[in-house]
Amino acid sequence: MRISIYRFNPELDVGPHMQDYDVDPDSGDKKLLDLLVRLKTIDDSLSFRRSCREGVCGSDAMNINGRNGLACLTALSTLKEPVLLRPLPGFPVIRDLIVDMTQFFAHYHAIRPYLINDEQPPERERLQSPEQRARLNGLYECILCACCSAFCPSYWWNPDKFIGPAGLLQAYRFISDSRDTASAERLAYLDDVYRLYRCRTIMNCTEVCPKGLSPSHAIERIRLALLRESS
Amino acid sequence: MPTPSPGRPRFLKLPSIRFPIGAFVSIGHRLSGVVLLIGLPFLAIALEQSLRSEADFAALAAQWAGPWRSLLLVIVVWAAAHHILAGVRHLLMDLGIGSTLTRARISAWATIVTAALIALSSAARWLS
Repeated sequence: MRISIYRFNPELDVGPHMQDYDVDPDSGDKKLLDLLVRLKTIDDSLSFRRSCREGVCGSDAMNINGRNGLACLTALSTLKEPVLLRPLPGFPVIRDLIVDMTQFFAHYHAIRPYLINDEQPPERERLQSPEQRARLNGLYECILCACCSAFCPSYWWNPDKFIGPAGLLQAYRFISDSRDTASAERLAYLDDVYRLYRCRTIMNCTEVCPKGLSPSHAIERIRLALLRESS
Repeated sequence: MPTPSPGRPRFLKLPSIRFPIGAFVSIGHRLSGVVLLIGLPFLAIALEQSLRSEADFAALAAQWAGPWRSLLLVIVVWAAAHHILAGVRHLLMDLGIGSTLTRARISAWATIVTAALIALSSAARWLS
C-alpha cells in the first residue's frame, strides 16, 4: 500500500514536503492508525498523535485523502491509493502530522465549558427529567478532535475571532442544559459578528464530524435562541 | 487570544482538499456576487438605453448580438440565478428548514443544477 505523508521537522526542514512509503498491511491492520503505527517501526522519525485508538480521545485527527477524519476510525479498505495524509488544514504544524491546537482550545475555554449555577445546591445531585437530559444528545458526545473546525473555511480565514464549529457546539451543549443558569450570559458572549455570525452554513463541519454530530445544527439553534431573545 | 507560533507552516492547499457539495454552493455564491457587483451597473445602463426608444432598443440588441457578448450575458444570468437560489437556500436554512445534512446536500445539488440549467437555456436562446 502506498502512503504519501506530509513531513516537516522544524529542526531540519526549511519547509514541508510529502514523503512516500510503501508498506504492506498485516492481516491485523484494519484501520489507518494500525498502518501508521507499523510505519513508525520502519521510520521512527514519523510523528503523529494517538492515544485510545477507538475514536474517543480525538488525538489522531488528520486530513486523509483531502477530508478530515480520525485515523483510528478510518478503515484501510475504504481508502484510495496513494493515501495522502496531511495535518489538519489551517492549523500551525509543529511537526509532521502534529498541529498546534492552542488557539482551538482558547476558544473552547472562552465559551466556559462547565455548568454555571449560582443557586443553592440541593442535598443530592441536580436532577433532570428524561426530556431535559435528551436535549444534550448530539452535543455532549463531542471529543474535541477539531476535524470540524479544521474543515471550516470561516475558521481558516478568522481562526483568532471565529469560535468555530467545535466551540459553538460545546457552547450550545451548556446553553441547552437545564441545570445551567448562565444561558443569557453565554448567548450575549456569542452575539458577535465574528464569534458566531462568521458561520456561513457551508456545513463542512457536519460533513466531516467523525462522531456523526451536527455542529451546524447547534449553531442554527444558537442563532434562533438569540433571535427569540431579541424579539 | 494567543497568536499562532511564527515559523510554523500551515497546510491549506485548497486544491488538495476534497470539498463537499455545500462548499461549492458557497464558493459559487461569492463568485456570483462579485459578477453581479461588476455586471449590474452595466445592465442598468443597458436597460435605461433600451427603454429610450424602439430604435435605441434595436441598436442595443444589435450591439449585443455577437457570441462573445452573449456569453458575457449568459455568465451574468448564471450569476443572478445562482446567487438568488443560494441566497434563498441560505435564508431557509437559517430558519431551520432543510438544514439536515441530507437535505442540505440535496438543496446544494439543486441550486447548482438549476442555476446551470437557467444559464444553459439562456445560452440556447442567445447563442443560437
